[in-house]
Amino acid sequence: MAKTKTTAYKAPRITWRRDFKRNWPVYMMFLPAIIFMVVLHYIPMFGIVMAFQDFNVTKGYFGSEWVGLKNFIDLFTGDQFLVALRNTVCIAVIKTTLGFVPPIIFAFLLSMIQNKKFKRFCQTMSYLPNFVAAVVVVSLVQEFLAKDGPLTLFLTNVFGLENQNWLANEQIPVFWIIYLLMGVWQGIGWGSIMYVAAISTVSGDLHEAAAIDGANRWQRLFKITLPCIMPTVMMMFVLGVGLSFSTGFDSILLMYMPSTYNVADTVYTYTYRMAFSASANYSLSAASGLFQSVVGTILLIGSNAISRKMTDSSLF
Amino acid sequence: MGFKKKKQNAVEEKSLHMVEHKGIGDHIADVIIYLLVALVAFVSVIPMWHVLMTSLSDGKMVMAYEGLVWKWIGNFNLKAYNLIFDNASIVSGYANTIIYTVSSTALGFVLAAITGYALSRDTKLKTPVSLILMATMLFSGGMVPTYMVIKSLGWVGTRWALIIPGCTNSMFMIMMMNAFNSVPREMYEAARIDGAGHFRTMWQVMLPQAMNLGFVIILNSVVGQWNSWLPASIYTPNNKNLWPLQLWIKQIVADNANFLRSANPDYNRYLIQYAVIVAATLPILVLFPFFQDKLEKGVIAGGVKG
Repeated sequence: MAKTKTTAYKAPRITWRRDFKRNWPVYMMFLPAIIFMVVLHYIPMFGIVMAFQDFNVTKGYFGSEWVGLKNFIDLFTGDQFLVALRNTVCIAVIKTTLGFVPPIIFAFLLSMIQNKKFKRFCQTMSYLPNFVAAVVVVSLVQEFLAKDGPLTLFLTNVFGLENQNWLANEQIPVFWIIYLLMGVWQGIGWGSIMYVAAISTVSGDLHEAAAIDGANRWQRLFKITLPCIMPTVMMMFVLGVGLSFSTGFDSILLMYMPSTYNVADTVYTYTYRMAFSASANYSLSAASGLFQSVVGTILLIGSNAISRKMTDSSLF
Repeated sequence: MGFKKKKQNAVEEKSLHMVEHKGIGDHIADVIIYLLVALVAFVSVIPMWHVLMTSLSDGKMVMAYEGLVWKWIGNFNLKAYNLIFDNASIVSGYANTIIYTVSSTALGFVLAAITGYALSRDTKLKTPVSLILMATMLFSGGMVPTYMVIKSLGWVGTRWALIIPGCTNSMFMIMMMNAFNSVPREMYEAARIDGAGHFRTMWQVMLPQAMNLGFVIILNSVVGQWNSWLPASIYTPNNKNLWPLQLWIKQIVADNANFLRSANPDYNRYLIQYAVIVAATLPILVLFPFFQDKLEKGVIAGGVKG
């Protein structure tokens, strides 16, 4: 989070009581946010105790029986959660590596285009998918990859792949690749904004000097532009790694089906299913949600710390 | 989230493209680069184009047609749009989406502005509250515990569950704090010396100065709320009169799979799923290019993921 700009003036040490007397209207302004945060975020955090209970809705938090780590043991000894965990890890790794590169390449390509109008037009077009709702994106994927969908026909006719409903394919990397490509399609333009901005701040003098010394554009790209935007790249990578485990899985809820749980189920969708489907088990769902939350937080703090050590930049 | 980063000198972009002698290889590379960028733009738009053109086609013919629909097939046909605007559930979905988007955005913005202003003032409460806010970005209670709280508030199956949780966004509050922090201190002091209270100072003096970032927050909230479907599927799965448009799209697309089972289908009904996608998506896609610059700046300033 950005540091707040503190002014040079430093107030002498004052007590809470004096501060309240002087600034009570500001204290009042904090009130709504604090109420909202406590009710909608902090009380649910207390509710995590149900992960350690055999939770029963009618008995509530105080009446339900404590079972210690039983829910977690159940999670890690059953097959469903382990499969979901494997899928989550694989999808997260694919997303943060293969899914990370296309926006950077797109930004490089854009930076080499000299026709301003053409560049702007293509940028605008590439942003559009970012504004399309998840529900719509998934129905587009379903439409294009159905048995008679345009993309399926293209793959069959041009590459000779078997004609099939690709979303129903249970073989291992198929769903992950579809999910990756869906993310790339949605994010390639929008994700390139940071890089385009970073590239545009690279000093023109460096390029000029290198060009005079006879460096061609590829040499300049790899020796000047890339090192100059490296801090931005690192920062985005850290953010990507930090969020990879905990966010972005909700659209899978719209894409998967019981026959593809083996490849498409993730910790997030498992948590959802355990909470709201016919076979609901609130305690298991809370345990799985807690697991995801903890791993996500560790990843975010850890990757941020590593980034602060290795480069100058950090998120908070 | 703001980023700590060394300030770099902004240099005009044109200096990247110096006049230099180009060989034939450079020209070929240029062509390839233009083609690749055009390809990305093309692939970005074509799926929605396909849906738009399908929705304007003749129902029976387009069902038999396989492959990408470049231009409407058969006679130009607006019947699907007649059908969706005669359909009470889709119209109510549209109205609900507008209600949720407007109220959640308005409430969220007021909350972000008030909290951001309070955070930008020098009080002892500033650090504890910003920690309270940031902690919610790092860690959350999870789906079921949150559901339990909403349930005990009696909000399950009501509009409140879709409006209130969506408007408490700590990232927006922190962004507004940054916006207020960047307003010159003299303006604040002048207003206070003139006897304006905190609320007046905020609304009439500070907020107009902070609206650049404020506008980004509003746009992000509108897009997010317009496209949101998960809260509705969690909190109002059985209250169809409360469904936003996105849930109806989900439902209609799923129902269409059963379309062929009816004996004598009205083929225009097959087009409904395409028409409803267009009707739900077009408003955002048409509006967004007007705000593109602002949204871009928001991404760069705040690292906000759209």
